[in-house]
Amino acid sequence: MGQPFALRATRVAAMWKQTDSNAEFSFVKEFCVPFLIGAQNLDGGWGFYPDSESRVEPTCWAIRALQNAPVQVPDDHLRNARESLLAAQLGDGSWPATPEEKTGNWVTSLACSVLSPDRECKNSVSAGLKWLCEDYPRDSAPWRRVIKKFVPGNHVSEHDDSFRGWGWTPRTASWVEPTAFAIQALSDSPEDWKPKEWPQRQKLAIGLLYDRVCPKGGWNSGNPRVYGVEGEALVLPTGWALLALHDQPTHERKSKSLTWLVDNFANIHAPASLAIARLTLETYGLKLPPTNQKLPNLFDARECLRTTEVVSWTCLSLSPKRFWFPQAENAN
Amino acid sequence: MNRRHQELIPSFRRPISRVLIRHAPDYQRELGSGILESLKEFHLQVRGKTVLLKANLVGLDPLGILNTHPAVIAATREGFLRLGASKVFIGDGPAMDRDTESILESVRLREFTGPLAGVFRDLNLDDVARVALPTRASLMKELYLPKTVLGVDFLVSMAKLKTHHWAGVTLSLKNMFGIVPGGCYGWPKNVLHWAGIDNSILDINAAARPDFAIIDGIVGMEGNGPIQGTPKAAGVLIFGDDPVAVDATGCRVMGLKPEKVKYLAKAGILLGNLEVAKIQEIGEKVDGVRKSFSVLEEFHELRE
Repeated sequence: MGQPFALRATRVAAMWKQTDSNAEFSFVKEFCVPFLIGAQNLDGGWGFYPDSESRVEPTCWAIRALQNAPVQVPDDHLRNARESLLAAQLGDGSWPATPEEKTGNWVTSLACSVLSPDRECKNSVSAGLKWLCEDYPRDSAPWRRVIKKFVPGNHVSEHDDSFRGWGWTPRTASWVEPTAFAIQALSDSPEDWKPKEWPQRQKLAIGLLYDRVCPKGGWNSGNPRVYGVEGEALVLPTGWALLALHDQPTHERKSKSLTWLVDNFANIHAPASLAIARLTLETYGLKLPPTNQKLPNLFDARECLRTTEVVSWTCLSLSPKRFWFPQAENAN
Repeated sequence: MNRRHQELIPSFRRPISRVLIRHAPDYQRELGSGILESLKEFHLQVRGKTVLLKANLVGLDPLGILNTHPAVIAATREGFLRLGASKVFIGDGPAMDRDTESILESVRLREFTGPLAGVFRDLNLDDVARVALPTRASLMKELYLPKTVLGVDFLVSMAKLKTHHWAGVTLSLKNMFGIVPGGCYGWPKNVLHWAGIDNSILDINAAARPDFAIIDGIVGMEGNGPIQGTPKAAGVLIFGDDPVAVDATGCRVMGLKPEKVKYLAKAGILLGNLEVAKIQEIGEKVDGVRKSFSVLEEFHELRE
């Protein structure tokens, strides 16, 4: 994700090739995109479900999916969505999880990331990135680290607290997914939009991700070991962390985590995890392992959790022309 | 909307609570009829009402040891429908994994309940309303809570009989952590940990009080719960309309002292009955079904 948006888009267009499955393309065209367009609220945003109230997170995922969809989306849908997102920004540059809330949180990363291709959003994104870079988690504050050093027996987990990522909510603790999303937001944005302290924040955050890798590879929410017991990795945090680290140099823990994802791919039975696992492996240019599960079939067989985010992630992962985390040339 | 705000009754004015312990050796034999009989004991006024079964779905669980067992959830849903409830929803907001459908698939809930469309509510992603916290036990003054929880007529907390590495035990009151929406607070809902787990449990239960509690103790968990502990068969289901009394009984079944569990001790003052003298046991007696659940060293003082 280190390349500027326009360069990435050009590269992807040049290497674009039709995927092996027309069924997948049809699914995007005939289900995902109409679902998302139909679920857009009059205020331009999306709720987690069709007919629910607009929230920043699903709005970001829907915009991301429609921006990358292989079919033409009428301009007014994306324009209204962008306006909705800009209107939701708080005075301090952050974005809140709900319309009534006056404190920003992790969705600020998603909003910055999704608005970053648009030059007109420079001021908003810059303000958001500044807020992010000034938001340090409280658990790893220097004075806490000093206290921890001198308090015996306070070692529930074995994290290296010198690393600092981002929390779900301000002034709490670092967790894998919000850290990954913040790294992505910084990577996605043009250089001159970022605050000057961003390289140091990114370095600490990348260090945190590697520190939190589970012993067998992959990530869970951020507890690789609690009371000495090994934590099990989960697909979504693993996918988001690997995507955030995609442009970083080779690292033994990254390779181990990719191996974990490949090894567990066939055990995925839900569309959200399958979509993000696929997006991740294709971004790294890895062949998708054989599986009995196909994304469109999962939607056909079940109908309970058709959320905006699950449909958006599915749409993204099945869009061969996507410019956000494009398929690497040797994928599949 | 906020019918969940119920009056806090001082302990000296509270009536005796009834708790039913039912022997249930496994998840197969006569579970449905046993649960229906147990619900009937409480003469619940649910005819024509909407019910939410707030299950405990904490993670991927192909062996059926972490979460409220799907057989118990399905049988309870059937029981409430047979009692005349107009709609019975199942819901939870898992704390550690946002792919709720993966969890549902891993526990095979659909196989037990039938299609989940329109039945299951992911409380992490529900529309929310801001609710003032009447107890102010934690540092929080208000919380966003799911409109589904606030809107139903009858709320049932369906927990698993487990020890917990931070709270001591996790039963029907701790299970209510799952109504706090991840869509607002993340995965995990770390803001509650920073506000203080014990006091957050009180605040949440005072703001959205369960009308009924059921604990799945057919197979529970001991040691490093709620996820990394060891399965422990206790062979019981525990029912009651006072969640504090149900949890106190659950503790005693595990061989633990409820008054030593910090949040339960406070809940006994604010929310329900904790003392043996104020709990009428119906069905099996605690002494007849007690098992000794191991706890982490930090919670050694909970042992009876």
